[in-house]
Amino acid sequence: MGSRQGAAGPRLRRGLSSALSRRVLADSVARLSPSRLVSNPVMLIVELAFFVVAAMAADPGAFAGLATEGGRAYYAEIAAVLLVTVWFSTLSDSLAEQQARNTASSLRKLEEDVQSKKLVREEWSQTVVLVSSKELRKGDLVLLEQGDAVPLDSVVLEGIAMVDESLLTGESSPAKKAPGDVLIGGSRLTSDTITARVTANPGETFVDQMIQMVESSKRPKTPNEEAVTVVLVGLTAIFTVIVGSLLGLSSVLGLHADLSVLLALYVCLLPTTIGALLPAIGLSGISRLYGRRIVAKSGRAIETAGDTDVILLDKTGTITVGNRRAIEFMPFTGHSEREVGEAAFLSSWHDDTPEGRSIIGLAYERGFVPRELNSLALSEVQEFSASTRRSGVVISTERGLTFPKGGKEMAQRARVSRKYADATAGGQLEVKLTKGAPDAIKEVLASVPPGFDQAAERVSAAGETAMAVARDGEALGIIRLKDVLKEGIREKIQAVKTLGIRPVMITGDQPLTAKSIASEVGITEYVPRTRPEDKFQIVKTEQGQSRVVAMIGDGTNDAPALAVADVGLAMNSGTEAAKEAANMVDLESNPANIIEVVMLGKQLLMTRGAVTAFSIANDVAKYFAIMPVLFASALPELGALNILHLGLRTAVLSALLFNAVIIPLLIPLAMRGVSFKPAGTMTIFLRNMLVYGVGGVVVPFVGIKLIDLLISAL
Amino acid sequence: MIDIQQLASVVLILGGTMVAAWLVSPFVTSIYTRAPSRLDRILNPLENWIYRLTGTDPDHGMGWKEYFLAGLVLNIAQMAIAFAILALQGVLPLNPMGFRGVSWGLALNTVVSFATNTNLQHYNGETTLSYLSQMGAIQFLEFTSAATGVCMGVALVRGIVVGSKDMGNFYVDFVRSLTRLLLPFCFVAAVVLVWMGVPQTIGGYVPIKTLQGSPGYVLVGPVASLVSIMQLGTNGGGYYGANSAYPFMNPGPTSDVLEICLMLLLPTTLVFVFGQLLGKKRESIPILLGAYLLFAVDLAIAFAPALPLNDAAGIETRIGGFFSVFWTVVTTAVTTGSVNTALSAMHPLVILAGFMGMLIQATPGGEGVGLSYMVMYVIITVFIVGLMSGRTPEYLGIKITSRDVKLVLAAFLLHPILILAPTIVAYASGAASAVGLSGGSTGFTEVLYEFTSAAANNGSDFLGAAGNTLFFNLATAAVMFVGRYAPIGLMLALSGSVIGRKRSGEAGGLKTDSVGFSLVLVGSILILVVLTFLPFLALGPILSYFQGNVNGLG
Repeated sequence: MGSRQGAAGPRLRRGLSSALSRRVLADSVARLSPSRLVSNPVMLIVELAFFVVAAMAADPGAFAGLATEGGRAYYAEIAAVLLVTVWFSTLSDSLAEQQARNTASSLRKLEEDVQSKKLVREEWSQTVVLVSSKELRKGDLVLLEQGDAVPLDSVVLEGIAMVDESLLTGESSPAKKAPGDVLIGGSRLTSDTITARVTANPGETFVDQMIQMVESSKRPKTPNEEAVTVVLVGLTAIFTVIVGSLLGLSSVLGLHADLSVLLALYVCLLPTTIGALLPAIGLSGISRLYGRRIVAKSGRAIETAGDTDVILLDKTGTITVGNRRAIEFMPFTGHSEREVGEAAFLSSWHDDTPEGRSIIGLAYERGFVPRELNSLALSEVQEFSASTRRSGVVISTERGLTFPKGGKEMAQRARVSRKYADATAGGQLEVKLTKGAPDAIKEVLASVPPGFDQAAERVSAAGETAMAVARDGEALGIIRLKDVLKEGIREKIQAVKTLGIRPVMITGDQPLTAKSIASEVGITEYVPRTRPEDKFQIVKTEQGQSRVVAMIGDGTNDAPALAVADVGLAMNSGTEAAKEAANMVDLESNPANIIEVVMLGKQLLMTRGAVTAFSIANDVAKYFAIMPVLFASALPELGALNILHLGLRTAVLSALLFNAVIIPLLIPLAMRGVSFKPAGTMTIFLRNMLVYGVGGVVVPFVGIKLIDLLISAL
Repeated sequence: MIDIQQLASVVLILGGTMVAAWLVSPFVTSIYTRAPSRLDRILNPLENWIYRLTGTDPDHGMGWKEYFLAGLVLNIAQMAIAFAILALQGVLPLNPMGFRGVSWGLALNTVVSFATNTNLQHYNGETTLSYLSQMGAIQFLEFTSAATGVCMGVALVRGIVVGSKDMGNFYVDFVRSLTRLLLPFCFVAAVVLVWMGVPQTIGGYVPIKTLQGSPGYVLVGPVASLVSIMQLGTNGGGYYGANSAYPFMNPGPTSDVLEICLMLLLPTTLVFVFGQLLGKKRESIPILLGAYLLFAVDLAIAFAPALPLNDAAGIETRIGGFFSVFWTVVTTAVTTGSVNTALSAMHPLVILAGFMGMLIQATPGGEGVGLSYMVMYVIITVFIVGLMSGRTPEYLGIKITSRDVKLVLAAFLLHPILILAPTIVAYASGAASAVGLSGGSTGFTEVLYEFTSAAANNGSDFLGAAGNTLFFNLATAAVMFVGRYAPIGLMLALSGSVIGRKRSGEAGGLKTDSVGFSLVLVGSILILVVLTFLPFLALGPILSYFQGNVNGLG
């Protein structure tokens, strides 16, 4: 979070100055209309007070007993400051909406209307029709060629291409997209040609959802915002009772309070600061999240993220970079390293995962290229399945051509390996090579060699992954695969733990491997041997203990868990089902961003709390500024309350001006959020309490005195 | 000012009471958890007989509405009985002095006053009430109102206990409060008071010849039993008009200290009971620390003047200025309202301290009610500042919703309205000037104090029998009634809505059981109370102070 925040500072300042455009100013003035202030009752009252005091300035005679003829200039000054107070508030709204609009328009760039090549399939042929992207519908097929923009979210059906997603993710190097991969509307093909099926109607993509959310001024209030609004209304009611009573007492006791001073006291006491900034704080949360390339489907989800008790972290992709690398072939007694290497090579030939490729890579490096390579064309592929957790190949010279069952990629492989087919003369009739998790391999072994378990465990205990290789039911050896940790992940996990959140690592690895990786990054809880379907149960169990669970997911089988999790962050590269189920989508598809989401949620709540506390604490000083003036004529003894020694003529104006000026001064804080370092909840709380609570009591004393000195001098 | 010796007395009295409260708290908790007790053998048959007689099913659990209405209806019925006794005392037995029936306005004010645990007295007991009225109306209501308060506080806690299904049964709680808590405790206290010289008789006033030779009466009656429940039940309504300044209610320094301890005992005990009922004893920490730190603030204000009570003026020599001022702070802090010195003799800052106690109502406040108020303050504090911890606000694992905030704020908002509206009306209608109260700082302080005391169900006042006018009788009766039942109802509604609500199980949130939070709580309560009431205090005791009325308001 640290480095990004540093970068956000200047960007925000630039944003503020450029945002103070004519449009924002005009908008903020238009918002002064009482009919538009209805949604903000606190500011509506301030504006009503302005009308009353302005009327007092115009005709003091109409306010017999409540105004004096000589006070016209004074009333005009007070009225002016009251109006400025309301304007500062509308300005803050306009600025926040401007920021949101910028976000929306940058998103809308992704949605530009483009000509697309719609594929119309007829019985024997298919034709390409040029249509506007707006006319495309879910399920339509489109042809995408080099340089074409992806019109709408879609999924690749045929072909492989490089796609530039930099507009969305900020990632400049193009991503490779193969059948089954997701294309995001607005990205652009930089090579090759593919056919894709559109998965969302125009106006229904989540980019659209996002635009709707930031643009709608009737954005639904989050539960917490609602509750804060109730507090504001409650405080307004209390201060209305107080000021009403003072007016009543002034009349029955003959204290001759001036109505303008009373109204000034009223406005000063009202929670104007938080009332003015509350909408901006809510909007800025969404904008800031988007600054991190995450699209939230609701403001509520961001708030919930702040409450997270447990984060489920997938090991692969979140904690480790995702590709384990093979680093060693370990033969069992009676077998050579070469035997293990060659068997690993063959059984990995059809395995297109990074792991599989790294095994082949290691074998090449060591020079373990097997002769049987030529027979691979005649091999039957046993694909990896989650249930057996092993894959392999059966090489046969007898059966003739055996088509692999694997689909398109496999077809390519088959073409390559066919070249070697002729050289396979003689040799064995059928060789069955299998590789997989040691305990999965054990199931196919005729006999488990001594030391099998110990070797596997040794590897696991070191945080590496062991993969066993077997030939015709005989264990040959073990492949050592090493996980590569993501950069900075340890620090992030430490931060999460400091905040009192439990990170739980989820992995398909076996317990020893899991434990080792977990302890390397400082995680004490991990769930080994998990399949994606298990996530749902884990989320349910944690929630059963009343915990708020955050998780990430990308696959269709993650969808149920994403749907029930309190905070579900789907990867944009993931399936449509996952994105539907989640309440946030990460455009960068960086699972580690879940931690940023939690931090941002906390920051949002903190900012709202800090401004509220500050706003209320400010009131103490304002009493001391205004009370002595209120009854100055009837009760001069109350002048003793004037501990700041403010001028009789300037005290009320100073308090009002402070009350008004504090709003624009806090706009940057509202938009940027309260900065915080990860620490225990109580530490953060007490620190903020000290800064914004105690500070809120002290600052206005100083501020009002300074303003008083300044306007007395004028 | 306060000297070292006096400070030591304060620490000893408060410390002693706290230890005593802590020691009896498990027993008090067991009354409400219905844990088996050695008293069962004697009391179960009695209680079961009462349940059978009244047709109560002791195992029937009530929702918050049923619980609250049961209490309210029972209290109103008790008021009706007491009203009849007061109005008809002239024809009823146990009236050796031959007092006439009480006027309807005063009777109404008195029954509402005692049933709401306020004990504002617009009469002088020794010249107005028969023995039957003192025992059957006054003392009866002092027991029932204290029991009702404790029940409501306990029910509030029951609602927020994890896994509770209902608020308990009001009638059972009420009966057990009387049989196991108030009656035994008061019996012991009354015996000790008799030993200290407090009379207990129904033999009629004793005629004597005074030293000057003129005839007079020694005004004795069933005083000890009344004093014990009046202090222990945070009632405060005395047998005599002069309350605990009258030697028969408070014979000397020892009884004075004992009575101070009795006032503080049950409110403090309930703070411990709170944590025990919750099963989280540490949660008593913020309530206890909050209450007593605010109490210390009150004390500091009261003892700020060089001479808080002008002893030299001959107003109080028996108990002494220090104990008079200390008593005044205690009696307002637990909203008992008994007085051992006329308030009009006090320095304005002592009165200001008294106001603080009554405005906060939770230092530690009246029985059950003080606890409710403190829970209310905790919820407000957690809600307003708790966000700064970076999580949505929670108390005891309960997510605070906007509905909760509405209920809590309504309870808080009620207090200033109940105090300020009738104060303005009192002046506007001329009712204040009719009893000789001016609009100056002194008169305003007295009127404001009257309604503050009524709204806080405290009962101490400046007016005394002078307040026996139709306006003050009816206005304070209304304020006392609403000031008692509305906040209780709102807090029970809040607690009732918590039953069955999802709780967060993780300890990652705000630690409300920490000293840090307690300090924040104290700060928040002070700011809230100052923000709400400062302008009015500024027109009353504060103005009086600036005007230099250092020898009391009298």
